[in-house]
Amino acid sequence: MASIASPVVDNTIDTPGRRTPLITGNQTYTSVTHMVARISEEAQPAIWWIAFAIAFPLLLMFGALIGYLILTGVGVWGNMSPVFWGWPIVNFVFWVGIGHAGTLISAILFLFRQNWRTSINRAAEAMTIFAVICAGTFPGIHVGRAWLAFWLTPYPSLNLWMWPQFRSPLLWDVFAVGTYASVSLVFWYMGMIPDLATFRDRSKSKWRRMIYGILSLGWSGSSRHWMRYEKAYTILAALATPLVLSVHTVVSFDFAVSQLPGWHTTIFPPYFVAGAIFSGFGMVLTLLIPVRAIYNLKDLITPRHLDNMCKIILATGSMVGLAYTTEFFMAWYSQNPYEFFTFWNRAFGPYWWAYWAMFLCNVISPQLFWFRIFRTNTVLMWIVTIFVNIGMWFERFVITVTSLSRDFLPSSWGYFAPTWVDIGMLVGSFGLFTTLFLLFCRYLPIVAIAEVKGVMSQQAHADHRQLHGSGH
Amino acid sequence: MSDHKPEKTVKPPRAFGWMAEYADENQLLAAARQVRDAGYTRTDAFTPFPVHGIDEALGIKPTVLPWFTLAAGATGTCVALAMQIWMNAVDYPYIISGKPFVSLPAFIPVAFELTVLFAAFTTVFAMLGLNGLPRFSNPVFNNPKFDRSTDDRFFLWVDSNDKYFNSDKVRSLLEATTPLVVEEVREDESSEKIPRPLIIAILTMILITLVPGAIVLNIRAAKSGSPRWHVFFDMDFQPKKKTQSTTTLFADNRVQRLPVPGTIARGDLELSDPYYLGYDPDATAALTGQTGLRLVGYSQEPSEAEAIDPDAPPVPQEPTLDATAGGEVTASENQAGDVTNNVSPPEAGVQEPVADDAAAAVDPAAAAVDPAAAGEPNYAWLTEFPLTVDDKLFELGKAKYEQNCSVCHGFSGYGDGLVARRAAALAQGYWLAPTSMHDSRIQEQAIGRIYYTITNGKGKMGSYAASLNAKERWAVVLYVRALQRSQNASEADVPPGAVVATDAKAESQP
Repeated sequence: MASIASPVVDNTIDTPGRRTPLITGNQTYTSVTHMVARISEEAQPAIWWIAFAIAFPLLLMFGALIGYLILTGVGVWGNMSPVFWGWPIVNFVFWVGIGHAGTLISAILFLFRQNWRTSINRAAEAMTIFAVICAGTFPGIHVGRAWLAFWLTPYPSLNLWMWPQFRSPLLWDVFAVGTYASVSLVFWYMGMIPDLATFRDRSKSKWRRMIYGILSLGWSGSSRHWMRYEKAYTILAALATPLVLSVHTVVSFDFAVSQLPGWHTTIFPPYFVAGAIFSGFGMVLTLLIPVRAIYNLKDLITPRHLDNMCKIILATGSMVGLAYTTEFFMAWYSQNPYEFFTFWNRAFGPYWWAYWAMFLCNVISPQLFWFRIFRTNTVLMWIVTIFVNIGMWFERFVITVTSLSRDFLPSSWGYFAPTWVDIGMLVGSFGLFTTLFLLFCRYLPIVAIAEVKGVMSQQAHADHRQLHGSGH
Repeated sequence: MSDHKPEKTVKPPRAFGWMAEYADENQLLAAARQVRDAGYTRTDAFTPFPVHGIDEALGIKPTVLPWFTLAAGATGTCVALAMQIWMNAVDYPYIISGKPFVSLPAFIPVAFELTVLFAAFTTVFAMLGLNGLPRFSNPVFNNPKFDRSTDDRFFLWVDSNDKYFNSDKVRSLLEATTPLVVEEVREDESSEKIPRPLIIAILTMILITLVPGAIVLNIRAAKSGSPRWHVFFDMDFQPKKKTQSTTTLFADNRVQRLPVPGTIARGDLELSDPYYLGYDPDATAALTGQTGLRLVGYSQEPSEAEAIDPDAPPVPQEPTLDATAGGEVTASENQAGDVTNNVSPPEAGVQEPVADDAAAAVDPAAAAVDPAAAGEPNYAWLTEFPLTVDDKLFELGKAKYEQNCSVCHGFSGYGDGLVARRAAALAQGYWLAPTSMHDSRIQEQAIGRIYYTITNGKGKMGSYAASLNAKERWAVVLYVRALQRSQNASEADVPPGAVVATDAKAESQP
């Protein structure tokens, strides 16, 4: 049995000439299996039930508000001339952005051979799926007549006799988010098949065995299967890498292709993608810090994993800050008074509070991760990630609302105010997200067991090699 | 392995092959090499994670999977482009954003997304298909020990269908590789039948899922006398009454309601209030016996205002004089109530223009005309200002007069504005000289009459209702009165202390 002996307690420190262990404690294959599988086998801790008791009613409220919206009309929102894209679109972009970390971790970090991804990719992918579900809800109900949202798809309609308009970024968005959601889902599911087989094989009850048996599709762990599986995983990673970058690019086209000052900028695609990764990692940390504490996964999701994620947040947060500054520079450099007014108005206009909340949360707060204490102390880290989440919501608010509320015709300028339904739906979408994530923790493998074992095996091999010189 | 697995065709329990269990991947790799070297090809390993080197150790050939991905990706691109071009350029072409029908750059995002979508789904399903999954019955699962193959144990398998398979030889070969256990995999003797409750549950679920569709189909196909059932009304039906229909809500059963007594329709206020008219409509009606006067005003005023102001020339203001003096003579006869700018062809009105009230003197024809006959309406003009008169109103009137009126009527009101002087210099025959405010006829006019002229225009002067609101018009009237008084003052008008050397001034004025 392979085991990794690690005398180093703090694996955030890299010692030259020595491979820093990715997982701590003297873990064996069985202990890793047990650590993950017991979560769904044992009774859930009280905090799970408390969280569920909060999240589930919020989900019900979300459903009720959607019903209220559909029965009443979009007038229940604060969307009013000239701000026709209010909170629903803000929430959509917010959730889609969060949904970027999962696939980034599973695909891009996989291609870059970042082995530390194995402990966190499953939860991050799940988070991605759930965030995209939340995101997809908002445009679906924002179309006004939600029961006709299927008109977005190019199907031969006997009632309409026409086709979607493929030159519109809004339709690109349907395809981009739809593709991303479905590809992420199969990627996530495919990655889970071996672990579901593990759950099946550990099952004590007949029903549990049958359900996980169906879900794992009869996975046997055959080497021929593994070979094709690994090939498929690599191909999917290669496909998902441009996909994950394209999604928020297309979302940014929703704004950038329009003519509105504040939206019509070429910086939007990279700026949105950086922001998406930033917010996604923020949310991954927000979720995983409690999860590893509650389920005692500290040996699998080690301080090194958190440290690495903090560094990514720091890097992408700085990119976002650069983008904000560049927007101002370009507004000045263009010598276009209207462009300049737009950005001046963002920072010092009626929504100054939103702009500076965004700036503080997104640019200043991640800079704390330069300090080691913030990258190792989980409480401080968690607080910063909360700021990141808040900041990224405000970013979308600032982009959407400030630009729209000051459009071309000063006589139509207005000030956006949300209604209680707007607020209820944002809170409700968190209920949906949290409920799904809690159910995921309850029933599915939250760490990619097989992948962690693969990394353990490789590392044991490498340590072995190191011990005996470079003989192999 | 599944590709090579024999199907369960034989009924009596039979052996499928030998399985050896190992504690770690290195032992498995060593054993796999030995088995391969012994010539067995129908072999496989079962491991909890992909063991590196096992492909080579077992002699597993690379998969064709990437070709599926490539083909699907190419299909996705072509399908997306063909779909977009056909839909937006062929079947339903329309121009948007000035883009060509086949705007390839705009079609790229969807083409990219569909490429990835097709390729990704094909990859996953091809992987499962090549692996023979899902497959819920597998002889290797028969041994409970095998459950650890997804935990921490590594299994090596030699299939009985192998060309060189010999049960004893395989067993001894495997036992030589230091396994934990070597066991023969036998057919599962338990029933192959699917449990009846499961079948019932599945069938029930299928039936339940069919119910909504069946209901919809039934409703669509069946004939029914009752109204259609709409899930969403889509504004086809609205809870409202249409005109000319009946209701039980009101005693008279009429849907259309009469306005509450005293209601003034939107826009009608200005047609009934002396403040806006310059005369008292009710008193006027009594005076003239014309009950329809309001209606006349109703039809007159808005059209006038609209017709005139947009390009109202900076022509003079106070009208009446022109009517008498200028070329309006002919037209004036027939129109009793019409004070509008019925611009008659003014061939008669040639004038030695300039300053003072030369107008009256110049045209002999005009002098002959009686004001009443010239179309002076017989209205009950207001004689008191219908608003508070104060310095502010005066200042407003001054400002508005100087902006709007002085170009023709002159700053002092003598009809000697810049436009008038220039027109006089050009000596064009159709020019009607602006009226002097100090003409006795104007001085005698009621303030309501002056207001009416400003509002509706007179002669060549257009309506100023669009440029000046009611208050501003009254303010101008006030200022005109002030001008008249200033130019025709007697010594008594001057405050006692201020009577000094006014001689020069008085003389200079005519």
